[in-house]
Amino acid sequence: MQIDFIAILPEIILTVTALLVLAADLALRGDAKQFVNPLAGLGTVAAIIATVALWGSERVTFGTMYVVDDFAVLFKLLFLGTLLAILAISWRYIAEHRFFQGEYYFLLLTSFIGMLLMPSSRDLIMLFIALETVSVPAFVMVGMRKRDLYSSESALKFFLLGVLAAALMLFGMSMVYGFAGTTDLVGIAAAISGETASVPLLLGSVMLVLVGFGFKISAVPFHFWAPDTYSGAPMPVAAMLAVASKAAGFAGLVVVAFIAFEPVADVWGPMLGVLAVLTMTVGNLIALQQRDLIRLLAYSSVAQAGYILIPFGLARTGPGAAVVNAAAIEAVVFYLIAYAVMNVGAFAVAIAVERRTGLRSIADYAGLSGRSPLLAMGMTVFLLSLGGAPLTVGLWAKFAILEAIAVDITLFGIVLAGFLVVNSVIAFFYYLKVVRTVWMDEAPAGLPQLQPGFNLSAVVVVLMVGTLVLGVLPGLVTDFSSVISIVAAG
Amino acid sequence: MAIGYYFIVSALLFSIGLIGVLLRRNAIVLFMCIELMLNSVNLTLAAAARMWGGPDGQVFVFFVIVVAAAEAVVGLALIVNLYFRRGTLDVDVPQLLRW
Amino acid sequence: MLSEYLPVLLLFGLAVAFAVGSLVVSSLVGPRVPNPTKLAAYESGNIPLADVRNTRFSVKFYMVAMLFLIFDIEVVFIYPWAVVFRELGWFGLGQMALFIGILGVAFVYEIGRGGLEWD
Repeated sequence: MQIDFIAILPEIILTVTALLVLAADLALRGDAKQFVNPLAGLGTVAAIIATVALWGSERVTFGTMYVVDDFAVLFKLLFLGTLLAILAISWRYIAEHRFFQGEYYFLLLTSFIGMLLMPSSRDLIMLFIALETVSVPAFVMVGMRKRDLYSSESALKFFLLGVLAAALMLFGMSMVYGFAGTTDLVGIAAAISGETASVPLLLGSVMLVLVGFGFKISAVPFHFWAPDTYSGAPMPVAAMLAVASKAAGFAGLVVVAFIAFEPVADVWGPMLGVLAVLTMTVGNLIALQQRDLIRLLAYSSVAQAGYILIPFGLARTGPGAAVVNAAAIEAVVFYLIAYAVMNVGAFAVAIAVERRTGLRSIADYAGLSGRSPLLAMGMTVFLLSLGGAPLTVGLWAKFAILEAIAVDITLFGIVLAGFLVVNSVIAFFYYLKVVRTVWMDEAPAGLPQLQPGFNLSAVVVVLMVGTLVLGVLPGLVTDFSSVISIVAAG
Repeated sequence: MAIGYYFIVSALLFSIGLIGVLLRRNAIVLFMCIELMLNSVNLTLAAAARMWGGPDGQVFVFFVIVVAAAEAVVGLALIVNLYFRRGTLDVDVPQLLRW
Repeated sequence: MLSEYLPVLLLFGLAVAFAVGSLVVSSLVGPRVPNPTKLAAYESGNIPLADVRNTRFSVKFYMVAMLFLIFDIEVVFIYPWAVVFRELGWFGLGQMALFIGILGVAFVYEIGRGGLEWD
């Protein structure tokens, strides 16, 4: 029995950091408590270094349960980068709102430990634990504003729906185990490829497993929690749910769908494709009617999940499938990275505006350009990028999906591409509406100038630069994401 | 084959839990129904582990039990907190929860 | 092998039908004769002293129950380890020490934050 501790070093570092945060929370009093934030930040940086060192290696540990390959490393870097940004935008926000700071950072770190486990999992048990480690701290974090009724209610709603989705997924997993006799993902693929793929119960179980991940990524029939939860949760938590936890859901979905259920891809592929169409259309249409910026971002993130689901709709099995599936995974990973950059940025600006004024309806962003040119610029860039405007990374992200469709053009692929284009146009309406409010409308009298703190400004600037630089040179990421396609080979 | 009966019982338990979730409007009862579903999962896993003779299913059961306990603690904390906020211990589901 | 599971699928449908059916039938057919005694909370045959729904309970009970539950359940991992204790040897002992150590940190935190103070 040997454990490869190098392979799980990033997780170990984060765990130790989380425990140190707990200890520091006990030791520190009053205002000093806010310094658990830099402590968590240091741990995150150390974890990033440990993760970068793993690039290019292929390590397997815990039997075959846990695999660290380039796919996993890329996802881990995405999560840790997001964690760093969220820590930066949390500092002042959490300290000023008098949350339970030690608990908050501990739960945040714990949730991210779960995310780090997700892309490395090669076993149903590991996937389940990773998913729950992401979710359970998130339930608590959403309800962090204990004295706020709305926050408590949204936390309970998130919790009940989350646990229900987990139960459905678990039942699916238990049935899959009943069929395959193993919880190992590769073993499951081997077991079900031998069977005729038309057994309805098996397919039902596969669908149930996908439901659990559908909830995490807020795909349409399971998206009801997203808007209420985002607006009820503390804003940094909303950013985490919208970006990191969603990316973790997609990481898990890629692993379970393309490795374990690859032999039945002909069934879940079209289903997820239909789900993608539903998700982006419903998300965009409801987003059009939103007046609250956080709810708008919530529905926009539902729509974005729809875009990211498109490559899953292309998945297939049989000869020649490997190329298509590899291209699909590549598109998913690239879109997730682009999405993280622009969406964390949008939430950072929203936090900066809300922190000073407590306002979050879109009308309150009127004249933001006069009150803080940096934030206005940032908001413009992030929203245009989410819409997919030229010169931003958002365009290339959508292009990556079209590229994946073009690998092997089918009628269904063309339909998906059509929905993608139409939805992108619809989405521009509401993104541009906010941008127009920011630049064109007069600010109501008496609103103070906004002076975001150093951390927030740094996050906004870095992400803005990232959005634009990747918009000109997408190769900076695609060079990495194109080598990770080995995951399809399992 | 006798193991089939375990699958039947667990399918029944799961359906009862699921229907409870869909029909009931009381947060605590909802939560109990979900716990019932988790226990039906445990039964399936244990029966399947017996059928295949491997340890995977039994290990899975342990993890499901522990995660269910963690969820119960978190969920009850949220429920208790909500009822103190609302100034009553009446556990009818709040308006926001219409889905 | 897979075809052996087909009956389970049927049973799923049957289970759903049975559960929905019995709810519907009982609501349609069942006689409703409410009377005060029948509607009262059952307290082992005694006459209820107060309205149970509005009785406040101390949150301390809940805290203790919750903390007990979470630490109690962790034993589930110790039990299988104890079964194969000899085969795992020092490696297993080290892992279990790590596990209990992490739990210990949580326990210290719980005491430090006053989670177990009864007053």
